[in-house]
Amino acid sequence: MVARPEKTAGVAPDLAVKLCGLSLATPLMPAAGTLAKEALDGAKEVYGAMVPKTVTPGPRAGNPPPRVAEVPSGMVNSIGLQNPGLERFLKDLHVWDVGLPLFVSVAADTVAEFAAMCERLASDTKVTAVELNLSCPNVEHGGLQFCAGPGTVSDVVAACREALPEKPLFAKLTNEGVVANAVAAEGAGADALTLINTIPALVVDARERKVFMRGGLSGPAIKPVALRMVYEVSRVVETPVVGVGGVSSGEDVAEFMLAGATAVQVGAGSFVREPREMLDEFVAYLRENGLRARELTGSI
Amino acid sequence: MKLHEVEVAARERFGNHALLRYRWPGRIPEPGQFVMARASAQSLDPFLPRPLFAHDYEDGVMSLLFEVRGRGTALLAEEDARLLVSNPVGQGFDTDSGGLVALVGGGVWVSPLKLLGKSLGRAGIACDTFLEIPATAPQGYAAWISESYPDATLVPTEGTPDPSRAVLDRLGALERYAAIYASGPAEMLDVAKRTAAGMVPAQLALRERMACANGSCYGCAVPVWKSGERAYARACVEGPVFPAEVLAW
Ligand SMILES: Cc1cc2nc3c(=O)[nH]c(=O)nc-3n(C[C@H](O)[C@H](O)[C@H](O)COP(=O)(O)O)c2cc1C
Repeated sequence: MVARPEKTAGVAPDLAVKLCGLSLATPLMPAAGTLAKEALDGAKEVYGAMVPKTVTPGPRAGNPPPRVAEVPSGMVNSIGLQNPGLERFLKDLHVWDVGLPLFVSVAADTVAEFAAMCERLASDTKVTAVELNLSCPNVEHGGLQFCAGPGTVSDVVAACREALPEKPLFAKLTNEGVVANAVAAEGAGADALTLINTIPALVVDARERKVFMRGGLSGPAIKPVALRMVYEVSRVVETPVVGVGGVSSGEDVAEFMLAGATAVQVGAGSFVREPREMLDEFVAYLRENGLRARELTGSI
Repeated sequence: MKLHEVEVAARERFGNHALLRYRWPGRIPEPGQFVMARASAQSLDPFLPRPLFAHDYEDGVMSLLFEVRGRGTALLAEEDARLLVSNPVGQGFDTDSGGLVALVGGGVWVSPLKLLGKSLGRAGIACDTFLEIPATAPQGYAAWISESYPDATLVPTEGTPDPSRAVLDRLGALERYAAIYASGPAEMLDVAKRTAAGMVPAQLALRERMACANGSCYGCAVPVWKSGERAYARACVEGPVFPAEVLAW
């Protein structure tokens, strides 16, 4: 149970959290792939860190449309990691510099490519940390996701750890087999775990009798699943957990932290509500309960 | 995306079509821009707001013209529904064409042509407007739509061999026009693009599925030519209006 000290009305609650030795001004950050450089206005006042869209070694055109579909309480996307590739991304890195720690999300086809990207990012002083997007296909293993099992999670994290000895390394996992994968990632040297990526989903068009989209589910629909993953994993690993999945209010942020998250990412929720409003609601929650943000983590 | 609760000044229904007018103290829309709209601040179901073209703007009153297609638009059209809208966003029509221009539209997608016609009028640019009246349109639709477009030539497609060509065929010699602005069904836009190619610059207003409407999600991908290569542009920030020759259909 969280102790509830006397309310400290009027005093701005302490939002700061510590993540892998970094001091973040707020526990909020954008989820990879859900905030573009065109939409960074006001980000500095809301987020504790910046997370650009996943970047791959070379440019990727992305998937043909349709790429998004609305479903009850959420959406399915099949963007296909459209991005300009690592070198172009690094050339334009200044656009992401809004005065926040910069966590770069990466994906690749092979373990060696993952490691090569980490090595490249290790030497760039603007990059604070690296998040491994392990929900992408592992070309050497028949296209199964890297996070399909602890074996490949361990291989890729270990290789990246070696390539990136001095910066925090995050492993981002999806829901399937998450506890075993999280333990493997921690064992291989990950400093933090980001949970969860979108959940595999299918949208069928009954009228046209065809598959409309094969993609990943996000939004409030996945929040209970993500909370469960954060809750279970944070109980078996030592490394901090960054919670993500369906956050669309300040109370959602609190729920993820109570369940065990040290910080929280906002994805699809930021398409439909202002993260600023979510942060304000979170502040109100802390004030009402006389708590500091960091006191919430894992306290239930 | 920031949505503002606004006061609905009038709500009109015609069959499946709805016309919403609301007080808008914010940024004045440019022709071809759109807003994201939803009916409730409390519920995130349906999850996404709907992208709707700015249909008209006059003295602090904006209007949206749309077709009720699913739950999102049905809720927006409901009597007494609240209305939350974003700022008008996106790249609209480039009206800097010089000379007589043609506006061609069809279905409910004629919507942005109202504001465009007004803006051209204000700039002293003459325009001919041709609007397709689909064979499926209910009785009285032509009269209703012409209230918004009193100067438009209505083109019924009933009985024409290729309805997607009907409006373009009515334009006659395209060389007379300095530009063609089109907003209509996909097939009509396709015909407009092919017909105008090499003859007259055309701009097409696209309607894509959207989620974030600020460039973040890359969901509203449109195939385009970029430096000679096929690539995907985002309709929300690089469109929704594109020069026809850029589109890699
Ligand atoms: C449009 C869209 C694009 C995404 N792109 C990425 C990406 O590039 N890399 C990544 O690791 N996750 C990506 N995600 C997953 C999110 O980062 C997040 O893990 C997931 O959507 C769950 O959170 P949410 O429900 O708050 O959206 C994307 C999600 C969406 C909706």
